[in-house]
Amino acid sequence: MWRGCTVTALAAVSSYLPDKRVPIEEPAARLGLTEMQVRVFRKYHKQSEVRLDPGGSLADLLRGALAGLEGLRGHERQVRYVLHARTLPGIVPYPVHPIRDLCHEYGLGHAETLAVGQHACASGLLSIDIAGRLLAADGDPDALAVVLAGEKTFTAEAQLVPQTSFLGEGAGACLVRADGDRDRLLAYSVDLRGEFGGDGAQLNPEFQEEYAGCLAAVISAAVERAGARMDQIGVILPHSVNVIAWRRVCRRLAFPLADVVLDNVASCGHVFCADHFINYRTARARGLLQPGRRYVMAAAGGSGGGVFSAMVFQH
Amino acid sequence: MTQPDTDVPDIGTRAAAGEASREQVVDGIYTLLPDVLQRDLAGLSEQTGLKAELGMESTVALELILRLEELLGVEVSVETLDREHLATIGSLAGYVTANLLAEDED
Repeated sequence: MWRGCTVTALAAVSSYLPDKRVPIEEPAARLGLTEMQVRVFRKYHKQSEVRLDPGGSLADLLRGALAGLEGLRGHERQVRYVLHARTLPGIVPYPVHPIRDLCHEYGLGHAETLAVGQHACASGLLSIDIAGRLLAADGDPDALAVVLAGEKTFTAEAQLVPQTSFLGEGAGACLVRADGDRDRLLAYSVDLRGEFGGDGAQLNPEFQEEYAGCLAAVISAAVERAGARMDQIGVILPHSVNVIAWRRVCRRLAFPLADVVLDNVASCGHVFCADHFINYRTARARGLLQPGRRYVMAAAGGSGGGVFSAMVFQH
Repeated sequence: MTQPDTDVPDIGTRAAAGEASREQVVDGIYTLLPDVLQRDLAGLSEQTGLKAELGMESTVALELILRLEELLGVEVSVETLDREHLATIGSLAGYVTANLLAEDED
């Protein structure tokens, strides 16, 4: 599926990671993985630890990201939409509504809130796209939207993507404008692959087989749509599932693995839809995002079929 | 660990670190597959399809390679491992043999 782009800009990006580091052996033991399977995760997937906030709530995670979002304070009244990008459809028991509670806490009670989970782990990118479209449709150049991402690892499903990745707790947020100087969204490409089945598509062998090829193709499509070549892309900000999958993607793209920001795979695990925001902050801290340079955010999701998506931004 | 009925020599002590012949790798795969796939297997050959016939997924292939490393006392680079290498026992053995790391390589 192809999409044209509204002019969407990321005015600010923040992330939050809880302090507690847990070796993957702990969730692995609870989930019944063998010692050999854990060693495969450590050696080839390069996952060692996840971050957890055992005593904290979902609101605590998201609050961490929201509190660090530059440009929000003093501009709360301009925020029209707050979107929570989520991998899993059920994140808290009914009728608890942490997103609404947070909005009230941060002076955003007037904003429309919505959850975006249709693209599973790629819903963070979808949320940016939706936020930009909503703002563009409203036509107010000063209006803002907030995208939040991050989930708790309460259930087995929320602790491990089978054969792929251990999930960790953390959060990310971004402030979206309909237009602006930074970081401008140049292209968004999505490939929806319903043939890989319903929930739990990651267990479908065909999904596993096609994964790298589909993800590479959607990145190429987005880069081409942005009028660029892969050698003009500074870095890829990935979903932090594991290293071996990105090694395969990079081989197909002839793109250096060293330019994929995989720093957090080993120490944080796959933080649901928040990976891109966490990796953005890492890239900023490392000086990898240079003014005018283009970069890619890319993700794959395995719920409701397979979803592969990529966005190209200009910093 | 489930052992096949065939008389398999102690490959681990036979191979020097960083070295393994294709024959040793193939023998090692025959030895390890029943345990990795957790079922008895008969009639294996280099032409046996790992995915098509045995239903082995790529992550399980990584476990097989990890066990091969231990059995043969070698290190295998998986940097260029792709699905075509996992087609048959022979293609996997070919990949492993061609991608052995020297002892001091990572």
